[in-house]
Amino acid sequence: MLANEYDVVVVGAGTGGYVAAIRAAQLGLKVAVVEKQKALGGTCLIWGCIPTKALLEHAHALKVAQSGKEWGLTGFDPAAVRIDMPAVHARKDKMITGLTGGIEMLFKKNKIDWIKGSARLTGGKAVEVTLHDGGKQVLTATKEVIVATGSAPRSVPGIEPDRKKIIFSDEAIHLGEVPKTIAIMGSGAVGVEFASIFKSFGSEVTVIELLPRLVPGEDEAVSAELEKTFKRKGIKSLTGTKVTSAKAGAKGVDLEIASTDQKTQKMTVDVLLVATGRGPVTDGLGAEAVGLTMDRGYIVVDQQFRTSVAGISAIGDVITMGGPHYQLAHVSSMEGVVLAERIAGHTVTPINYDHVPRCTYCDPEIGSVGFTEAQAREKGYDVRVGVFPFKALARARMAGETDGFVKIVADKKYDEVLGVHIIGPRATELIAEAVLALRLECTVEELVKTIHAHPTMSEAVGEASHAAHGAAIHM
Amino acid sequence: MATPVVMPQMGESIAEGTIVRWIKKVGDAVDRDEPLFEISTDKVDAEIPSPVAGTLIDIAVKEGETVAVNSVVATIGAAGEKANEQGAAALAEAAPANSPPPSGKAQPQAAQGDGTPTKTVSDPSAATSAPAPAATEVKDDDQDTAGSDDGRRQKSSPLVRRIAKEHGVDIRQITGTGISGRVTKQDILGYLDAPAADREPSRAGSGEASPQRPDSRDGGTPPSAPTWSGGGDEVAPMSVMRKKIAEHMIVSRRTSAHVYSVFEVNYSKVDDIRKARRSDYEQRGVKLTFTSFIAKVAVDCLRRHKIINASIDGDNVVYRREINLGIAVALENGLIVPVVKRADDLNILGLSRSIADVADRARAKKLNPDEVHGGTFTITNPGNFGAQFGLPIINQPQVAILGVGAIEKRVVVIDDMIGIRLMGYLTLGYDHRLVDGAVADQFMADVKKGIETFDASQV
Repeated sequence: MLANEYDVVVVGAGTGGYVAAIRAAQLGLKVAVVEKQKALGGTCLIWGCIPTKALLEHAHALKVAQSGKEWGLTGFDPAAVRIDMPAVHARKDKMITGLTGGIEMLFKKNKIDWIKGSARLTGGKAVEVTLHDGGKQVLTATKEVIVATGSAPRSVPGIEPDRKKIIFSDEAIHLGEVPKTIAIMGSGAVGVEFASIFKSFGSEVTVIELLPRLVPGEDEAVSAELEKTFKRKGIKSLTGTKVTSAKAGAKGVDLEIASTDQKTQKMTVDVLLVATGRGPVTDGLGAEAVGLTMDRGYIVVDQQFRTSVAGISAIGDVITMGGPHYQLAHVSSMEGVVLAERIAGHTVTPINYDHVPRCTYCDPEIGSVGFTEAQAREKGYDVRVGVFPFKALARARMAGETDGFVKIVADKKYDEVLGVHIIGPRATELIAEAVLALRLECTVEELVKTIHAHPTMSEAVGEASHAAHGAAIHM
Repeated sequence: MATPVVMPQMGESIAEGTIVRWIKKVGDAVDRDEPLFEISTDKVDAEIPSPVAGTLIDIAVKEGETVAVNSVVATIGAAGEKANEQGAAALAEAAPANSPPPSGKAQPQAAQGDGTPTKTVSDPSAATSAPAPAATEVKDDDQDTAGSDDGRRQKSSPLVRRIAKEHGVDIRQITGTGISGRVTKQDILGYLDAPAADREPSRAGSGEASPQRPDSRDGGTPPSAPTWSGGGDEVAPMSVMRKKIAEHMIVSRRTSAHVYSVFEVNYSKVDDIRKARRSDYEQRGVKLTFTSFIAKVAVDCLRRHKIINASIDGDNVVYRREINLGIAVALENGLIVPVVKRADDLNILGLSRSIADVADRARAKKLNPDEVHGGTFTITNPGNFGAQFGLPIINQPQVAILGVGAIEKRVVVIDDMIGIRLMGYLTLGYDHRLVDGAVADQFMADVKKGIETFDASQV
C-alpha cells in the first residue's frame, strides 16, 4: 500500500468520524482521519455535549451549596455562595483536554493516522488535504471515503450574531462572567439547557420560543411540566413569540419581540443566545463539485449512508435521508459503527430512527424515546398511557428532586411500548431502559414484570408501566 | 345455551382452514363428537366432530370459504334455540382467549390425546364461561409461541409473540430480518399482510427472484403457463389439497438442488423372513410388508448418516435429534405424508403397526393434525403401481426422500451364474446443497446392505 493510500479516509473527527475510524480499524482496515481542529472529538467534545454538561454539573454543585441549610451543611454561608467562572472553565477545559487526548490514544492504539488539515473531495475516492503548514497531501481510499463534517450553530434571517453579545452556544460555554440578564432564542435542547445553567449561575433568564410550547419536539405533557418548573425557578418563558430584531449596543442587546397575537414588546438584555438550530458544515469540502446530491446544504444519503457518488459515504449532522435528521452525538456514532461494518463487508441492517433516545440536560432533565402520545395517536394506534410522578417516589424525595414524571405511551391492541417520556431526576439515565425496551420490541407487560431495584429512580419506570396497565402500586 | 364451534388449529403452523363440506345442516340435531363438518388445510383434511350435543342453529362459514383458526364457524344450541347475534359475537371474542395457544409446547399434548381431532377444538365449556377482562389483558408471559421441539427456537420479541398469539401464527414460519434472524414486528406484520399463498418460509432460494403469485388470499396455486380451453374440455376447480400440493412441489423444486442416486437391491432374504413370519404378525394384527423392512433399515441408516436426517436453516445445518419418518400415502385425489414420530424407537413390529395405522387413517381422513408435521425423512412408494423407480421431489424442509421401485423377480448374475432373484430399485432424491453424491451413495450402499443382510432375529 502506498504511503497515502488507505482503505478508508474519514473527513472529520467528531463523534461520527472518530467512531467510524476506530470501528473500521478494529475490523482490520487501514484508516486515516482528516481533522482541522487542534483536538479530536468535534462539536461534542469541544463545544457541545461535554462542556455544557460539565457546566451543568457545576450548576448542580452550586444548587446544593446554596441550599446548604436544607442539607444540614455548616461552616459556610450558603447565601454567600457564588460561582467562580475562571475556576469552572479551568476544570471543564482540563477535562476536555483529557477526553480529546483519550481519542488520540485510541487512534494510536488502532494505528489510525490523523492528518491535520482541511479536506477537499477531488473526485473518486481521493481527498486533498491542505495541511496546517500550507502543504498539500492527497489521500486515496481503496474502499470508501467517509464525510463526517458535522454541523455548526446557525441563526435565523434577520438576527446576526456578533459572537460577543449576540452569541451561539460555542461562545456561551466560554463566557468569562455570568451575564446579569440573558435572553435565549429557541427552546430546543440547547436553549433550555443554557436557560437552566445561567439561571443557576444567577442570571435573569428569558426563553423565547416561536412555537406554542417549550421543547416542542417532546411530548406535550413534558413541555407543560418543564414550563411549570421553569416558572417556579424564575425562568421566564415566552412561547409563541418571535424575535423580530436584535441589535447589540454599548449597554447590551436591544430586542424587539412579537407574540403570535402581534403584540410587540421591547427588552434589553446583556446577552442574547441564539439557539435556533444547527446547519451542515460543508465549506471548502467540494461536495457539489464532485457531484454529491445536496438538499438545503445537507448531503443526501440512503439508509446505508451512500451518497450519490460511488465510494463516498456520509454520516452524522451533515446528512439528510430526505427530511430532518437527528443531530445527536450518539446517532452519529451509531451511524459510524454501522457504516464501518458495512465497508468491512458485514451485512448491516439500517438504523431504526424511531428508537433514538433524546436527552436534554435542563433542570429537571428530559429523556425520551419513541413516539409522543400525539404522534402515536396520529399514526392510528389505540393509545393507552401510564404516568407516574416522581413526587410519589422515595428516592426522588431523598434527592429533593420531585418535579416531573415518567410517561409510557403504549398500544392498547398489542401492548407494545411506543414511547417513553421522562422529565425529572436522572431522566437522561433512566431512558436507557426504555430505549432497550423499544429496541427489543417489548410489551408493557415486560416492563411490569421487570424487577426495578428499590430504592431507585428507576422504580418510576416500573410504576408507570403498572399505571399503563391500570394502576400504579404506590399511587 | 349456545356453544360456538371454531375452526380448529390443525397443526402448529396452520393459520387457516377451508370448510369443504357441512355434514350437518341448520336445524339438525347433533351428538357430541358426531362429525359436523369437513375441513381442508394445507396439511391435512379432517372431519370435525361437534364439541357438544344439541342443535346446529347457525352456520357462519359456507362451504368453500377459508377462515382463520379460532374463527367461529357455527353455533350449537339446545334443541329449538335460535342463533343469537350478540351471543355469537361475544363468544367469538371469548374463544381465542381460551383455545389452546398455538405453541409448540401445548400442541403436541393436544395431539397426543385419544387420536381424534376433537382435542384441538377449544373446550366448549371453557369457551362459554366469559373470561375476566384481566385475563385477556395480561397473559402469562412465559408462553412463547415458538416451541422448542423443533430443535431450535425462532428468535422473536415479546411484541411479536403477542401478535403471533393473537393471530394464531407459528413464528417459525416467518423469516426474521432482525439481528441473528430475529423475527421483528415488521416481519410478522408483513407476514400477516401477505396473501396466504406467499407465506412460505423463504429459508432458501434467496437471491432468486420469487415468482409472481396471485394476490387473492385463497388463490394458492403457483403460476402456470398460459393455457387454452377447447370446446368439450371439462374445467374443474382445484381442491384445496391439490393447490397446496402444487404449491409445495414448486417451492421444493425452487428450494433444493435435486439430485438422484439409484441402487438395485436384492430382496430375497427379506422375502424369506417375511414369508416365515407373516402369519405370526397377522395374528398380532400387523401386516409385514416390504415397506416395513425398508423403513426399518432406512431408520437405522439415518442414525448413522445424520446429515441425511437434517435440514438447512439459513447458513446453518440443523441435525435432527429425532427420526420422524414420513410415509407418502396416495389418496383418491391427492397425496398426504403422515409422519411416524421417533421411528427409531420402534422395532419392526411397532414400525409396521405405526405405518399401517397412519396410512389407514390418512385414507379415512382421520389423521391427527400433528401427524403430518415434523417429518425428518420421507419414504414414497411409486413401485406400488409398477414403476421401476421414481424420482420423487423432496418434502421440505427435509433434505432427502427415498423412492421404492417395483419389487419383482429378475434375472441376475450371481458368482458368474445366472439366477432368479427378487429385485427392486431404490432411489434417493437428495438436496445437493447439503448432501454430496458420495455421502448419499454411502447412505444408499448402507441401506442396500441392510436389506440384503437383514438380521432375521430382529423380526
